Amino acid sequence: MWDLRTPSGILFTIYGALLTAFGLLSPETRAPLAEYNVNLWSGFLFLIFGVTMLWMSRRAT
Amino acid sequence: MTLHFVDYLILALYFAFVIGIGYLLKRKISTSADFLTSNRSVPLWITSLAFVATNLGAQELVGMCASGAKYGIMTSHFYWVGAIPAMLFVGLFMMPFYYGSKARSVPEYLKLRYDEKTRAFNALTFAVMTIFSSGISMYALGLLFQLVLGWSFTASVLLSAAIVLAYTFFGGLTSAIYNEVLQFFLIVCGFAPLAFFAVHRAGGWAGIVERVQHPQFGDAWVHSWKYAANPSANPMGVEVFGIIMGLGFVLSFGYWCTNYLVVQRAMAADTMAAARLTPIVGAFPKMLLPFIVIVPGIAALALTNDPSIAYHLPPKGSSYDYDQAITTLMAQFYPSGMLGIGLTALMASFMSGMAGNVTAFNTVWTYDIYQSYIRKDAPDSHYLWVGRATTVVGTLLSIGAAYLATLYNNIMDLLQLVFGFVNAPLFATFLLGMFWKRTTGHGAFTGLLAGTGAAALTHGLTLAEGKGAWIAQLHEFPSVMAQNFWIAIFAWTTCFAVTILVSLATRPRPVAELKGLVYGVTEIPRPEENVPWYLRPAPLSIAAGVACVLLNVIFW
Repeated sequence: MWDLRTPSGILFTIYGALLTAFGLLSPETRAPLAEYNVNLWSGFLFLIFGVTMLWMSRRAT
Repeated sequence: MTLHFVDYLILALYFAFVIGIGYLLKRKISTSADFLTSNRSVPLWITSLAFVATNLGAQELVGMCASGAKYGIMTSHFYWVGAIPAMLFVGLFMMPFYYGSKARSVPEYLKLRYDEKTRAFNALTFAVMTIFSSGISMYALGLLFQLVLGWSFTASVLLSAAIVLAYTFFGGLTSAIYNEVLQFFLIVCGFAPLAFFAVHRAGGWAGIVERVQHPQFGDAWVHSWKYAANPSANPMGVEVFGIIMGLGFVLSFGYWCTNYLVVQRAMAADTMAAARLTPIVGAFPKMLLPFIVIVPGIAALALTNDPSIAYHLPPKGSSYDYDQAITTLMAQFYPSGMLGIGLTALMASFMSGMAGNVTAFNTVWTYDIYQSYIRKDAPDSHYLWVGRATTVVGTLLSIGAAYLATLYNNIMDLLQLVFGFVNAPLFATFLLGMFWKRTTGHGAFTGLLAGTGAAALTHGLTLAEGKGAWIAQLHEFPSVMAQNFWIAIFAWTTCFAVTILVSLATRPRPVAELKGLVYGVTEIPRPEENVPWYLRPAPLSIAAGVACVLLNVIFW
């Protein structure tokens, strides 16, 4: 069966990269109540998740 | 709430992905079984997450967050009393019969176990219910996007329906299941940060406890059982018996054990062992979901109660518009970028709910109604074609149901009402069918009719929050939720009693015909020797059960 980890990994890696870049390039983009750079931190976590998925699917083949 | 380019980009990327997955899976579809039942070939971790995700629709996310703000942590009963025990039960005790009987759907199991009329009754009511569920889900989303983003109700309903249609039309059940797992990841990743930020801002759990004191109910928002002895002592208006019997036993077991929408995900597993483990493994992520879907709602109330924090639940009449809790939190805590992820997750939850209903409707319509009563002996390619066509029809009917749903305002209550009418008596039928070989087809059918009638009658004779009592008013419940729990209890008990009585008065089926369908005349598969003990159904269920009890105790 086709491995779902590949597309999940790709999607989250793209999202992670996008958010991290956005958080770095535009750190002044903040929500009214957020005390952190939400995009940077969430993006970073997404990136880890996406890359882990990709790594797991590569290892399986 | 305003969206920027990056938010639209994130949303568009997601749409491209789900349609892409559907399109890639199209090559694997060559028979009606591939399209409608995934031909029993999906790996365990995927079926487990899909089992949880298909229930994680928009009404679940929005409704659970709303209930969190409205009723507090008592809402967790839907998970820690309701879903988890029922999921463990279906995996341990019922899946051997569903998977082992070779039935392709839940109604087909009823046909094998009982008779044609019981199957027809279940197939028809189920078909109607899936359409309504997906319509309600669609309505919830359309309304929300209209309110929050100013998108037109019709446009957001049609756009999302078109995308769901596209990927289920191409890839059928496999595509729906694969996308559900992707949606599950997105929902967790999109909402877990929101829960974290909202709780953190409210001063952690301790800060929430301090801020959600209520003049009438005290600290009822942060205790799941402490105020459950008396219905007038808690905001939900329910009591222990209603919670355990109505919600925990009848409604939840009825939903998780007999609703083909979720059972279908487990039946798509590649082996019997995997089918049994599907709901049991799914129980672990399921029991953690309240932290993502309910806790932010409680945090929203805490933030509202603190005048020093610039967050307020939007007012509605003398109370709050709780259904907006999740989106207003997003607007306050997510900047452009992460906001796109949050909205995509909402959209994803809506789609997973809708795709689940559409694919279940497809299979039941094609196999249990069309192939059984309309055209019996057509070549398989014909049924594949019918399955595809049904996807289109089912989607169109759901859109119609979405416009109907605008007549009701509280989504969860309406859903519970529908489940009370359909699923509650059904659980008695399955319980007796699977565990008592004396149960007959006439008994099951009469019981189902009587149970559904009892549900309607109870709704017609009791009043709650101005709803029901369309026959006469005999009793008033403190809340619609209490009314729903009791409707379920009456429906189940009536079905259970009538089924037994009529079964005893009618001729039983020969035991030889019941092989593989009933407990006692079926060989329950034992886990293979090479499976380590911690991956077997019983130890995993015990672990899940213990964890679930602990959660109840922690939030007592």
